[in-house]
Amino acid sequence: MDRVSRLFVSQSTIATMEMQITKKGRQRRISMQFWSLDESDILLRIRSPQEDAGTAILKVGNEIWYYLPKANRTVKIRPSMMMSSWMGSNFTLNDLVKQSRLTNDYTVATSFEGQRDGVAVSEYTLTPKPTAAVVWGKITLEVRQSDRMPVWQRYYDEDGKLVRELSFSEYKTASGRLIPTQLTMQSMGKAGKKVEKTTVTYEKIIFDRPISKVIFSPRNLKP
Amino acid sequence: MGILLLVKIGWRNLWRNPRGTLLTALALGLGLTLLLVSLGLLDGSQQQMVANAVRFGTGDVVIQAQGYQDRASLELLLPAGAVSKSQEYLHTEVLKHVVQGMSPRLLASGLLSSAANASGVNLMGVIPREERTVSLIPQRIVEGKYLNDNQQSGVVIGAELASKLAVKVGSKVVLMTQEVSPPRTEAPDAGGGEMQSTLLRVSGIFRTGVQAIDAHVIQLPLPEAQALLGVPGRVTQVAVLLEREEDSLRVAQGLRKQFMGVPVEILPWRESMPGVAQLFLLDEAFNYVMNGVVLAMVGLGILNTILMRVLERRYEFGLCSALGLRPVQLAVMIIGESLALTTISLVLGLVLGLSAQHYFATAGLDLRWFFKSSLPTALVFDPIIYSRLSLTRIVSSVGIVFLTATVISFYPAYKAARTALPGALKVF
Amino acid sequence: MNGRLLRLAWRNLWRNPRRTLITMAAIGFGYAMLLFVACLMAGLRHQMIESGTGLVLSDVEVHAPGYYPERPVDQTLGGPDGTDVNALVAAIAANPRVQAASPRVYGYGLVSATHQSAGVELLGVVPDQEQKITVLQTRMVKGSYLTGRMPKGVVMGDKLAATIGAKVGSEIVLLAPAADGSTGNDLYTVAGLFHTGLDAMDRGLVLMPLASLQELLRLPPEGIHEVGIKLHDDDITAATTAAAALDTQLSKTLKVQVRAWPELAPELADYVQFNHRVTFILFFIFFLLAAMGIVNTMLMAIIERTRELGMLMAVGMRPVQVVGLIVAEAASLAGASLVLGAAIGAPLLWYLQVHGLNLGGNRGAVSLGGVVVGPLWHGQQDLTAYAQAAVGLAVIALVSALYPALRAARFRPTEALRKI
Repeated sequence: MDRVSRLFVSQSTIATMEMQITKKGRQRRISMQFWSLDESDILLRIRSPQEDAGTAILKVGNEIWYYLPKANRTVKIRPSMMMSSWMGSNFTLNDLVKQSRLTNDYTVATSFEGQRDGVAVSEYTLTPKPTAAVVWGKITLEVRQSDRMPVWQRYYDEDGKLVRELSFSEYKTASGRLIPTQLTMQSMGKAGKKVEKTTVTYEKIIFDRPISKVIFSPRNLKP
Repeated sequence: MGILLLVKIGWRNLWRNPRGTLLTALALGLGLTLLLVSLGLLDGSQQQMVANAVRFGTGDVVIQAQGYQDRASLELLLPAGAVSKSQEYLHTEVLKHVVQGMSPRLLASGLLSSAANASGVNLMGVIPREERTVSLIPQRIVEGKYLNDNQQSGVVIGAELASKLAVKVGSKVVLMTQEVSPPRTEAPDAGGGEMQSTLLRVSGIFRTGVQAIDAHVIQLPLPEAQALLGVPGRVTQVAVLLEREEDSLRVAQGLRKQFMGVPVEILPWRESMPGVAQLFLLDEAFNYVMNGVVLAMVGLGILNTILMRVLERRYEFGLCSALGLRPVQLAVMIIGESLALTTISLVLGLVLGLSAQHYFATAGLDLRWFFKSSLPTALVFDPIIYSRLSLTRIVSSVGIVFLTATVISFYPAYKAARTALPGALKVF
Repeated sequence: MNGRLLRLAWRNLWRNPRRTLITMAAIGFGYAMLLFVACLMAGLRHQMIESGTGLVLSDVEVHAPGYYPERPVDQTLGGPDGTDVNALVAAIAANPRVQAASPRVYGYGLVSATHQSAGVELLGVVPDQEQKITVLQTRMVKGSYLTGRMPKGVVMGDKLAATIGAKVGSEIVLLAPAADGSTGNDLYTVAGLFHTGLDAMDRGLVLMPLASLQELLRLPPEGIHEVGIKLHDDDITAATTAAAALDTQLSKTLKVQVRAWPELAPELADYVQFNHRVTFILFFIFFLLAAMGIVNTMLMAIIERTRELGMLMAVGMRPVQVVGLIVAEAASLAGASLVLGAAIGAPLLWYLQVHGLNLGGNRGAVSLGGVVVGPLWHGQQDLTAYAQAAVGLAVIALVSALYPALRAARFRPTEALRKI
């Protein structure tokens, strides 16, 4: 179980990714570069589209800065901004930069083992521990039995309604690890209708290459 | 003839026409009644307005860290021990009947999330039984229940917030805040402590009618808030509610003496909530105008009644003169009559007025009677006005009516004394 | 018969001019006072409404369906393609109830000057049109209001400027989620600071040119969120009716939701209703006093005229006619009093409306629940109230006269004639 949540965690990560947001029939594509160090410092730089190119977000410890290219200014942001949808996507900044250990907050039970669509999978049901600071009623997770790769993760509220679903695909090896390089978060509206979708695709991802701490400084945000 | 005899005659004159006299007395007395009732209601509604505003805010007197009024910074907490010190002082025998309640609170801001949504909130860590004596939020619960003292964890949120987050009583919400760290002078907006998240279940939902409160304010148990913010035993302010807001200044001064040398600011509500203070002044001015109008109306009523009563008796006075009564004596008799009448009326008026006032003081005047509005709004203030009448007001009202009636009766007395005899004796 | 009765009644009144005049004076003055109060209260109501809606809110707002209250940035009038703004505004302004209309764009985001950033609401307006519907431009304390000459000039509350460390002329950054989901950001200059006395505005509002905000939020020139409207008559019922009328008018060509201020600012509506009620209480007091006065007067009159009435009945006047006579007298008395009262009241009303009543001049403005009220109270003609008072008085007069009238009707002619 821990393996699943630790899929993307490492001493350091460098990645190039593309995010595609589909909302109300419109699509947006954002391509960015990502550095992280020690699970606490994170730097994101947006490469495209034009309007947003050059925007950078830096998180060091508990502080967050935004670099705005058009204004050529660095602005400090309150951490509470981390919980609202980032760039209009279905991921919050929190989702992108913070990985919680699922076992800390949930009790895991196996709810299904067998074949689905010709693939041998295990399904786990995660129930939040009584004091865990999570909003979900339960989370279900399907994992491939062969390589323990996650297939999907479903988030339910306390009334049992499905609120969002995270699906994994495009499994590739990077720096010796097998990871899903495509993650899609689909949020459900009222009456279970699919509403918005965001897909993050890792074009390139490198783990554990040494990164200098210098790049994680607000002064260095300006290109 | 001696004055006493004149007065006696005056008194008996009254009773020659008991029905007329009583009717006049009633008319006069009703004037006083109306005055008392309207004054009571106007005063009462004004005090209620202040009380309401004060109870939605920081109370009649507030104790907070120095500089908080200006900067409202989260790090400005009361020094440790401030709460117990104020408790000691406020619970003394002397102040037992002056203080209605005091509530220590920890204030901070954070983010409240549900499965469906998230929103910035202003949180208040409170002690339920103390908060009940000060704030109106515990009385405006529309779903679920307010926090109770045995609860270690729980939260009450406003109706608008509940709807935005799509939660109901019992739902899970997560509160995320930043630990408070003491302000550092070199980098005043640097860092802050660790981010803390905690799970809470909605105990109750309130509706105050004030949008800013219903959409952003949440209350949770004080110890829980203190743990979340990393400041065990500390609070931001102590809000004090008094039985009468007139004592605010006095209590504030008393508290200041207790806290000499300690960096706190102790403010009566007019200083901590200047907006409300100004509204109060405006309302006061408005009341003056209203009082003036009611007084004028009552005065006119008195004028009408007395003049009518006296001016009609020219025939009778003519007769008196013809029988040998000197003008001065006639005047005295008339005035004596008026005085007697006025006294009866005042007694009547007082009895009626005070009982009506008592009724409105206990049962209140329910404005909803008059509300034909179909607006689906929650009233910000209590629709029931309770009358509050001070002794000063009663005395001054009685005095005014008495004076007015007496002064008015001088005119006919004067006229009667100068009336030509022959004309007055003409019949029909 | 009625005509003769009335003339007789009228003449009877004047047989004792002093008594009649005194009572008329009392009731007349009372009515004048009532007019005074009604006028003052109407003025106060109007001022409350003006200050509640005159700064930003406006009397009526037109939105795309579902826009209010969450205000999602991408939900513009006319859908994603927007609408012909000028045509829409013109169509609204053509409605006879509308005084002026102005297009608006809203956003929310962060403003930052040196270090501190603050969450703010952004409002984009066309200065010339906006000034016709709101009065924020009169609350400037430093610098100047928006002008067409400074497309990147913004105006903000003085408290906000203090919080983020900005002054007139400072450069600030605005960061806001745009309509397409990206993060709009750009540099602007502080052109001026305003002070409204309302914390929510002084700490949380940034006003800027409409076109600039559209650019920041990646909205096309046809994309606006709202049309703000100022009405000629903004009292609660008038505003709600106007909103309904506009909804019908506009719905023919565009999907809209039109809301009047009582819906947008329910607290304000409560205060205004309260104001109405207080006026009502005063009416009640006046009616009571008037009733007393009339009963008193009439009773005295019939007691005095016992002989006369007895004689009338002896020569054939039926009891019903006697009742009619007394009631007619009361009605004439009331009528004459009303006329007197109106005559006295008129100059008072004029004075109130033109000069106003000044209470405590330098206390400054007051704010609570989004309402700012100044110490100078202007009156406003409230014809409904005046009429209601007059009608009420007439009714009271008739009712009060019944008791004396019935008593008179019970006179037995022989007994009456024996009295002096």
